[in-house]
Amino acid sequence: MNTNNNTYTVIYTTVICVLVAAILAFVSQTLKPRQEANEKAETISQILTAAQFADKAELQKMGNAAIIQLFNDNIDGKAEVVSVSELKALNYKLKAGENVPVPTYRFKNGVKVIPIYGAGLWGPVWGYIAVDDADGVRIVGAYFDHESETPGLGGKIKDDPAFRAQFKGEVIDAGNPAKPFDIVKGGSPAGNTEDSKVDAITGATMTSKGLDAAMDVWLGAYVKSLNHGGTK
Amino acid sequence: MGKLKETFLNPILKGNPITVLVLGICSALAVTVELKGACVMALSVIVVTGVSSLIASLLRNTIPNRVRIIIQLVIVAMMVILVDQFLKAFAFAIDKQLSVYIGLIITNCIVMGRIEAFALGNKPIPSLVDGLANGLGYGLILIAVAFFRELFGSGTLFGVPVLSALGYTNNGLVILPPMALIILGLIIWAQRSVQKDLQEK
Repeated sequence: MNTNNNTYTVIYTTVICVLVAAILAFVSQTLKPRQEANEKAETISQILTAAQFADKAELQKMGNAAIIQLFNDNIDGKAEVVSVSELKALNYKLKAGENVPVPTYRFKNGVKVIPIYGAGLWGPVWGYIAVDDADGVRIVGAYFDHESETPGLGGKIKDDPAFRAQFKGEVIDAGNPAKPFDIVKGGSPAGNTEDSKVDAITGATMTSKGLDAAMDVWLGAYVKSLNHGGTK
Repeated sequence: MGKLKETFLNPILKGNPITVLVLGICSALAVTVELKGACVMALSVIVVTGVSSLIASLLRNTIPNRVRIIIQLVIVAMMVILVDQFLKAFAFAIDKQLSVYIGLIITNCIVMGRIEAFALGNKPIPSLVDGLANGLGYGLILIAVAFFRELFGSGTLFGVPVLSALGYTNNGLVILPPMALIILGLIIWAQRSVQKDLQEK
Protein backbone atom coordinates (compact mmCIF):
# COMPACT_ATOMS: atom_id res chain seq x y z
CA MET A 1 0.00 0.00 0.00
CA ASN A 2 1.26 3.48 -0.84
CA THR A 3 1.24 5.29 2.48
CA ASN A 4 2.66 8.45 0.98
CA ASN A 5 -0.16 9.74 -1.19
CA ASN A 6 -2.02 12.82 -0.05
CA THR A 7 -5.48 11.33 0.39
CA TYR A 8 -4.15 8.53 2.58
CA THR A 9 -2.10 10.95 4.67
CA VAL A 10 -5.04 13.28 5.31
CA ILE A 11 -7.46 10.47 6.13
CA TYR A 12 -4.93 8.69 8.35
CA THR A 13 -4.11 11.82 10.33
CA THR A 14 -7.78 12.67 10.76
CA VAL A 15 -8.68 9.19 11.95
CA ILE A 16 -5.79 9.10 14.46
CA CYS A 17 -6.66 12.53 15.85
CA VAL A 18 -10.37 11.76 16.19
CA LEU A 19 -9.58 8.41 17.78
CA VAL A 20 -7.17 9.90 20.31
CA ALA A 21 -9.59 12.74 21.08
CA ALA A 22 -12.36 10.20 21.70
CA ILE A 23 -10.16 8.15 24.04
CA LEU A 24 -9.11 11.23 26.00
CA ALA A 25 -12.66 12.57 26.21
CA PHE A 26 -13.93 9.23 27.42
CA VAL A 27 -11.22 8.85 30.08
CA SER A 28 -11.63 12.44 31.19
CA GLN A 29 -15.41 12.06 31.57
CA THR A 30 -15.07 8.75 33.39
CA LEU A 31 -12.50 10.03 35.87
CA LYS A 32 -13.93 13.50 36.34
CA PRO A 33 -16.21 12.79 39.35
CA ARG A 34 -13.28 11.15 41.15
CA GLN A 35 -10.95 14.03 40.32
CA GLU A 36 -13.45 16.66 41.43
CA ALA A 37 -14.13 14.79 44.66
CA ASN A 38 -10.37 14.63 45.25
CA GLU A 39 -10.00 18.34 44.62
CA LYS A 40 -12.85 19.27 46.95
CA ALA A 41 -11.50 17.01 49.70
CA GLU A 42 -8.06 18.54 49.15
CA THR A 43 -9.44 22.07 49.60
CA ILE A 44 -11.34 21.03 52.72
CA SER A 45 -8.31 19.28 54.20
CA GLN A 46 -6.25 22.44 53.64
CA ILE A 47 -8.89 24.51 55.44
CA LEU A 48 -9.02 22.01 58.31
CA THR A 49 -5.22 21.99 58.58
CA ALA A 50 -5.12 25.78 58.73
CA ALA A 51 -7.80 25.78 61.43
CA GLN A 52 -5.75 23.21 63.42
CA PHE A 53 -8.39 20.49 63.46
CA ALA A 54 -5.93 17.95 62.12
CA ASP A 55 -2.66 17.74 60.27
CA LYS A 56 -2.59 17.54 56.48
CA ALA A 57 -0.73 14.22 56.48
CA GLU A 58 -3.24 12.68 58.92
CA LEU A 59 -6.17 13.92 56.86
CA GLN A 60 -4.69 12.40 53.71
CA LYS A 61 -4.73 8.98 55.35
CA MET A 62 -8.36 9.39 56.48
CA GLY A 63 -9.83 9.44 52.99
CA ASN A 64 -12.27 11.84 51.34
CA ALA A 65 -15.46 10.82 53.18
CA ALA A 66 -13.92 11.25 56.64
CA ILE A 67 -12.47 14.64 55.69
CA ILE A 68 -15.87 15.96 54.59
CA GLN A 69 -17.45 14.49 57.75
CA LEU A 70 -14.95 16.30 59.99
CA PHE A 71 -15.60 19.56 58.13
CA ASN A 72 -19.39 19.27 58.41
CA ASP A 73 -19.17 18.40 62.11
CA ASN A 74 -17.23 21.53 62.96
CA ILE A 75 -18.46 24.18 60.56
CA ASP A 76 -20.91 26.73 61.96
CA GLY A 77 -24.05 26.56 59.84
CA LYS A 78 -23.60 25.67 56.22
CA ALA A 79 -20.64 26.64 54.08
CA GLU A 80 -20.11 26.35 50.37
CA VAL A 81 -16.56 25.23 49.60
CA VAL A 82 -15.03 27.82 47.28
CA SER A 83 -12.78 26.15 44.70
CA VAL A 84 -9.35 27.45 43.75
CA SER A 85 -10.56 28.58 40.32
CA GLU A 86 -13.31 30.60 41.99
CA LEU A 87 -10.66 32.20 44.22
CA LYS A 88 -8.85 33.24 41.05
CA ALA A 89 -11.93 35.05 39.75
CA LEU A 90 -12.41 36.75 43.11
CA ASN A 91 -8.74 37.78 43.18
CA TYR A 92 -9.20 39.84 40.00
CA LYS A 93 -12.11 41.69 41.56
CA LEU A 94 -10.29 42.31 44.84
CA LYS A 95 -7.19 43.60 43.10
CA ALA A 96 -9.32 45.90 40.95
CA GLY A 97 -10.55 47.42 44.20
CA GLU A 98 -14.09 46.08 43.90
CA ASN A 99 -15.91 45.73 47.18
CA VAL A 100 -16.64 41.99 47.15
CA PRO A 101 -17.05 39.97 50.33
CA VAL A 102 -14.13 37.66 51.12
CA PRO A 103 -15.37 34.08 51.57
CA THR A 104 -15.02 33.13 55.23
CA TYR A 105 -15.45 29.71 56.79
CA ARG A 106 -16.78 30.07 60.34
CA PHE A 107 -16.20 27.17 62.68
CA LYS A 108 -18.15 26.42 65.86
CA ASN A 109 -15.10 27.07 68.06
CA GLY A 110 -14.91 30.69 66.89
CA VAL A 111 -12.10 30.21 64.38
CA LYS A 112 -12.59 31.78 60.97
CA VAL A 113 -10.67 30.66 57.91
CA ILE A 114 -9.94 33.16 55.14
CA PRO A 115 -8.59 32.05 51.77
CA ILE A 116 -5.81 33.96 50.03
CA TYR A 117 -4.79 33.81 46.38
CA GLY A 118 -2.04 35.44 44.34
CA ALA A 119 0.77 34.99 41.84
CA GLY A 120 3.96 33.13 42.76
CA LEU A 121 6.96 32.74 40.48
CA TRP A 122 5.70 30.13 37.98
CA GLY A 123 2.01 30.05 38.70
CA PRO A 124 -0.64 30.82 41.27
CA VAL A 125 -0.11 30.42 45.00
CA TRP A 126 -3.00 30.21 47.44
CA GLY A 127 -3.66 29.31 51.02
CA TYR A 128 -5.91 29.43 54.03
CA ILE A 129 -5.35 31.62 57.07
CA ALA A 130 -7.24 30.68 60.24
CA VAL A 131 -7.82 33.64 62.55
CA ASP A 132 -9.41 34.32 65.91
CA ASP A 133 -10.99 37.74 66.51
CA ALA A 134 -11.25 37.45 70.31
CA ASP A 135 -8.12 39.48 71.10
CA GLY A 136 -7.22 41.55 68.06
CA VAL A 137 -7.08 39.55 64.85
CA ARG A 138 -4.65 36.75 65.62
CA ILE A 139 -3.57 33.92 63.32
CA VAL A 140 -4.37 30.45 64.63
CA GLY A 141 -2.77 28.56 61.78
CA ALA A 142 -2.04 28.69 58.07
CA TYR A 143 -1.72 26.39 55.13
CA PHE A 144 -0.36 27.25 51.69
CA ASP A 145 -0.41 25.57 48.33
CA HIS A 146 0.86 26.32 44.86
CA GLU A 147 0.50 25.10 41.31
CA SER A 148 4.06 25.03 40.02
CA GLU A 149 6.60 26.59 42.38
CA THR A 150 10.06 24.99 42.36
CA PRO A 151 10.19 21.96 44.66
CA GLY A 152 12.63 22.59 47.50
CA LEU A 153 12.57 26.38 47.01
CA GLY A 154 9.22 28.12 46.48
CA GLY A 155 7.57 24.75 47.08
CA LYS A 156 8.55 25.13 50.73
CA ILE A 157 5.53 27.34 51.35
CA LYS A 158 3.65 24.06 51.26
CA ASP A 159 6.24 21.42 52.13
CA ASP A 160 8.12 23.05 54.99
CA PRO A 161 6.15 22.75 58.26
CA ALA A 162 8.55 25.25 59.88
CA PHE A 163 7.46 27.97 57.45
CA ARG A 164 3.81 27.41 58.28
CA ALA A 165 4.48 27.19 62.02
CA GLN A 166 5.87 30.75 62.07
CA PHE A 167 2.38 32.12 61.42
CA LYS A 168 0.86 30.62 64.57
CA GLY A 169 0.02 33.29 67.13
CA GLU A 170 1.06 36.21 64.93
CA VAL A 171 -1.22 39.22 65.16
CA ILE A 172 -2.65 40.79 61.99
CA ASP A 173 -2.38 44.57 61.85
CA ALA A 174 -6.11 45.29 61.54
CA GLY A 175 -5.52 49.04 61.60
CA ASN A 176 -3.54 48.90 58.36
CA PRO A 177 -5.63 47.25 55.60
CA ALA A 178 -3.01 48.15 52.96
CA LYS A 179 -0.30 46.12 54.71
CA PRO A 180 -1.86 43.92 57.38
CA PHE A 181 0.92 41.33 57.31
CA ASP A 182 4.53 41.02 56.17
CA ILE A 183 6.57 38.09 54.85
CA VAL A 184 10.08 39.55 54.75
CA LYS A 185 13.74 38.68 54.84
CA GLY A 186 14.87 38.46 58.42
CA GLY A 187 11.32 38.12 59.69
CA SER A 188 10.99 38.87 63.37
CA PRO A 189 12.89 37.79 66.46
CA ALA A 190 11.71 34.40 67.65
CA GLY A 191 8.71 34.65 69.89
CA ASN A 192 7.73 38.15 68.79
CA THR A 193 4.14 37.66 67.68
CA GLU A 194 3.12 41.31 67.89
CA ASP A 195 4.93 42.71 64.84
CA SER A 196 2.82 41.02 62.09
CA LYS A 197 5.99 39.71 60.43
CA VAL A 198 7.34 36.30 59.51
CA ASP A 199 10.54 35.21 57.79
CA ALA A 200 10.47 34.71 54.00
CA ILE A 201 12.06 31.70 52.29
CA THR A 202 15.72 31.90 51.26
CA GLY A 203 16.17 31.32 47.54
CA ALA A 204 12.47 31.84 46.84
CA THR A 205 12.20 35.60 46.78
CA MET A 206 9.53 35.80 44.08
CA THR A 207 7.33 33.15 45.70
CA SER A 208 7.64 34.85 49.09
CA LYS A 209 6.79 38.24 47.60
CA GLY A 210 3.81 36.77 45.75
CA LEU A 211 2.52 35.22 48.94
CA ASP A 212 3.11 38.49 50.79
CA ALA A 213 1.09 40.39 48.18
CA ALA A 214 -1.70 37.79 48.32
CA MET A 215 -1.87 38.15 52.12
CA ASP A 216 -2.12 41.92 51.78
CA VAL A 217 -4.95 41.80 49.24
CA TRP A 218 -7.10 39.18 50.93
CA LEU A 219 -6.43 39.85 54.61
CA GLY A 220 -6.62 43.57 53.82
CA ALA A 221 -10.11 43.08 52.42
CA TYR A 222 -11.02 40.99 55.46
CA VAL A 223 -9.88 43.52 58.08
CA LYS A 224 -11.54 46.28 56.08
CA SER A 225 -14.82 44.41 56.30
CA LEU A 226 -14.26 44.09 60.08
CA ASN A 227 -13.62 47.79 60.46
CA HIS A 228 -16.69 48.69 58.41
CA GLY A 229 -18.83 46.27 60.38
CA GLY A 230 -17.68 48.14 63.48
CA THR A 231 -17.98 45.08 65.70
CA LYS A 232 -14.31 44.73 66.54
CA MET B 1 16.33 -13.85 23.73
CA GLY B 2 19.92 -12.66 23.77
CA LYS B 3 18.97 -9.77 21.55
CA LEU B 4 16.07 -8.73 23.78
CA LYS B 5 18.39 -8.75 26.76
CA GLU B 6 20.78 -6.46 24.95
CA THR B 7 17.92 -4.18 23.91
CA PHE B 8 17.05 -3.97 27.58
CA LEU B 9 20.55 -3.49 29.02
CA ASN B 10 21.98 -1.15 26.42
CA PRO B 11 19.88 1.95 27.32
CA ILE B 12 20.68 1.47 30.99
CA LEU B 13 24.46 1.27 30.65
CA LYS B 14 26.21 1.89 27.33
CA GLY B 15 23.48 3.89 25.62
CA ASN B 16 22.00 5.65 28.64
CA PRO B 17 19.69 8.40 27.37
CA ILE B 18 20.98 10.99 29.85
CA THR B 19 24.67 10.27 30.31
CA VAL B 20 25.53 9.04 26.83
CA LEU B 21 22.89 10.41 24.45
CA VAL B 22 22.48 13.53 26.66
CA LEU B 23 18.71 13.70 26.15
CA GLY B 24 16.11 14.77 28.68
CA ILE B 25 18.49 17.05 30.56
CA CYS B 26 15.92 19.78 31.28
CA SER B 27 13.62 17.59 33.33
CA ALA B 28 16.63 15.97 34.99
CA LEU B 29 17.49 19.43 36.34
CA ALA B 30 13.95 20.26 37.36
CA VAL B 31 12.69 17.25 39.30
CA THR B 32 15.83 16.11 41.10
CA VAL B 33 15.60 18.32 44.18
CA GLU B 34 13.77 15.61 46.11
CA LEU B 35 13.95 11.82 45.85
CA LYS B 36 10.22 11.17 46.07
CA GLY B 37 9.38 13.38 43.12
CA ALA B 38 12.24 11.89 41.13
CA CYS B 39 10.94 8.36 41.74
CA VAL B 40 7.38 9.10 40.61
CA MET B 41 8.71 11.04 37.63
CA ALA B 42 10.92 8.07 36.72
CA LEU B 43 7.94 5.69 36.93
CA SER B 44 5.76 7.97 34.80
CA VAL B 45 8.45 8.29 32.14
CA ILE B 46 8.94 4.50 32.09
CA VAL B 47 5.21 4.00 31.46
CA VAL B 48 5.05 6.71 28.80
CA THR B 49 8.16 5.62 26.86
CA GLY B 50 7.21 1.94 27.05
CA VAL B 51 3.57 2.23 25.95
CA SER B 52 4.18 4.96 23.34
CA SER B 53 6.93 2.87 21.75
CA LEU B 54 4.60 -0.14 21.73
CA ILE B 55 1.74 1.77 20.07
CA ALA B 56 4.05 3.44 17.55
CA SER B 57 5.56 0.07 16.68
CA LEU B 58 2.13 -1.51 16.17
CA LEU B 59 1.21 1.30 13.78
CA ARG B 60 4.65 1.54 12.14
CA ASN B 61 3.67 0.07 8.76
CA THR B 62 0.62 2.31 8.37
CA ILE B 63 2.07 5.68 9.41
CA PRO B 64 2.57 8.01 6.40
CA ASN B 65 6.25 8.91 6.36
CA ARG B 66 5.71 12.64 5.81
CA VAL B 67 3.60 13.14 8.94
CA ARG B 68 5.24 10.57 11.17
CA ILE B 69 6.55 13.13 13.68
CA ILE B 70 3.05 14.54 14.11
CA ILE B 71 1.58 11.08 14.62
CA GLN B 72 4.31 10.29 17.18
CA LEU B 73 3.55 13.52 18.97
CA VAL B 74 -0.17 12.68 19.13
CA ILE B 75 0.60 9.24 20.60
CA VAL B 76 3.02 10.61 23.20
CA ALA B 77 0.71 13.48 24.15
CA MET B 78 -2.17 11.05 24.61
CA MET B 79 -0.09 8.82 26.89
CA VAL B 80 1.10 11.75 28.99
CA ILE B 81 -2.42 13.12 29.44
CA LEU B 82 -3.68 9.65 30.36
CA VAL B 83 -0.94 9.26 33.01
CA ASP B 84 -1.77 12.71 34.37
CA GLN B 85 -5.52 12.00 34.46
CA PHE B 86 -5.04 8.68 36.23
CA LEU B 87 -2.67 10.19 38.78
CA LYS B 88 -5.21 12.96 39.44
CA ALA B 89 -7.96 10.42 40.04
CA PHE B 90 -6.08 7.75 41.96
CA ALA B 91 -2.90 9.32 43.36
CA PHE B 92 -3.95 12.91 43.87
CA ALA B 93 -1.25 13.82 46.39
CA ILE B 94 1.59 12.62 44.18
CA ASP B 95 0.15 14.37 41.14
CA LYS B 96 0.00 17.60 43.10
CA GLN B 97 3.61 17.20 44.13
CA LEU B 98 4.88 16.71 40.56
CA SER B 99 2.48 19.34 39.23
CA VAL B 100 3.65 20.68 35.90
CA TYR B 101 6.45 18.18 35.24
CA ILE B 102 4.12 15.32 34.32
CA GLY B 103 2.74 17.40 31.45
CA LEU B 104 6.29 18.25 30.43
CA ILE B 105 7.11 14.58 29.76
CA ILE B 106 5.74 15.36 26.28
CA THR B 107 8.74 17.57 25.64
CA ASN B 108 11.18 14.94 26.89
CA CYS B 109 13.37 14.15 23.91
CA ILE B 110 13.85 10.54 25.01
CA VAL B 111 10.25 9.55 24.28
CA MET B 112 10.07 10.87 20.72
CA GLY B 113 13.72 9.99 20.14
CA ARG B 114 13.21 6.30 20.89
CA ILE B 115 10.05 6.09 18.76
CA GLU B 116 11.83 7.70 15.83
CA ALA B 117 15.07 5.75 16.22
CA PHE B 118 13.79 2.35 17.32
CA ALA B 119 10.03 1.71 17.44
CA LEU B 120 9.36 2.70 13.83
CA GLY B 121 11.78 0.05 12.57
CA ASN B 122 11.24 -2.82 15.02
CA LYS B 123 8.56 -5.28 16.10
CA PRO B 124 6.25 -4.38 19.03
CA ILE B 125 7.85 -6.53 21.77
CA PRO B 126 11.45 -5.30 21.27
CA SER B 127 10.04 -1.75 20.99
CA LEU B 128 8.21 -2.11 24.30
CA VAL B 129 11.40 -3.42 25.93
CA ASP B 130 13.45 -0.61 24.40
CA GLY B 131 10.97 2.00 25.62
CA LEU B 132 10.81 0.61 29.13
CA ALA B 133 14.59 0.28 29.34
CA ASN B 134 15.18 3.84 28.18
CA GLY B 135 12.71 5.09 30.76
CA LEU B 136 14.55 3.02 33.34
CA GLY B 137 17.96 4.33 32.25
CA TYR B 138 16.59 7.88 32.55
CA GLY B 139 14.99 7.12 35.91
CA LEU B 140 18.13 5.63 37.45
CA ILE B 141 20.19 8.73 36.67
CA LEU B 142 17.34 10.92 37.92
CA ILE B 143 17.25 9.06 41.21
CA ALA B 144 21.06 9.14 41.54
CA VAL B 145 21.15 12.91 41.03
CA ALA B 146 18.18 13.42 43.36
CA PHE B 147 19.92 11.32 46.02
CA PHE B 148 22.92 13.68 46.15
CA ARG B 149 20.85 16.84 45.82
CA GLU B 150 18.41 15.98 48.57
CA LEU B 151 21.15 14.64 50.84
CA PHE B 152 23.46 17.65 50.57
CA GLY B 153 20.84 20.30 49.78
CA SER B 154 18.24 19.54 52.41
CA GLY B 155 20.10 17.00 54.59
CA THR B 156 17.26 14.50 54.13
CA LEU B 157 16.44 11.35 52.13
CA PHE B 158 12.76 10.82 51.19
CA GLY B 159 12.06 13.64 53.65
CA VAL B 160 13.68 11.77 56.56
CA PRO B 161 16.44 13.79 58.22
CA VAL B 162 19.83 12.10 57.69
CA LEU B 163 22.66 14.64 57.51
CA SER B 164 20.61 17.40 59.12
CA ALA B 165 20.19 15.14 62.16
CA LEU B 166 24.00 15.17 62.47
CA GLY B 167 24.18 18.94 62.57
CA TYR B 168 24.93 19.42 58.86
CA THR B 169 24.27 22.88 57.46
CA ASN B 170 22.29 22.66 54.23
CA ASN B 171 24.12 23.71 51.10
CA GLY B 172 21.78 26.05 49.20
CA LEU B 173 23.76 25.72 45.95
CA VAL B 174 22.94 22.01 45.70
CA ILE B 175 19.22 22.83 45.54
CA LEU B 176 19.70 25.23 42.62
CA PRO B 177 19.58 23.85 39.04
CA PRO B 178 23.29 24.46 38.20
CA MET B 179 24.32 21.86 40.78
CA ALA B 180 22.24 19.23 38.96
CA LEU B 181 24.36 19.88 35.88
CA ILE B 182 27.56 19.57 37.89
CA ILE B 183 26.45 16.28 39.50
CA LEU B 184 25.35 15.02 36.08
CA GLY B 185 28.77 15.95 34.71
CA LEU B 186 30.47 14.05 37.51
CA ILE B 187 28.32 10.98 36.79
CA ILE B 188 29.19 11.17 33.08
CA TRP B 189 32.87 11.53 33.98
CA ALA B 190 32.72 8.50 36.28
CA GLN B 191 30.90 6.42 33.67
CA ARG B 192 33.36 7.30 30.91
CA SER B 193 36.41 6.54 32.99
CA VAL B 194 35.01 3.07 33.68
CA GLN B 195 33.63 2.36 30.18
CA LYS B 196 36.64 3.51 28.18
CA ASP B 197 35.03 2.76 24.78
CA LEU B 198 32.65 5.68 25.35
CA GLN B 199 35.50 8.19 25.21
CA GLU B 200 35.78 10.10 21.96
CA LYS B 201 39.18 9.90 20.27
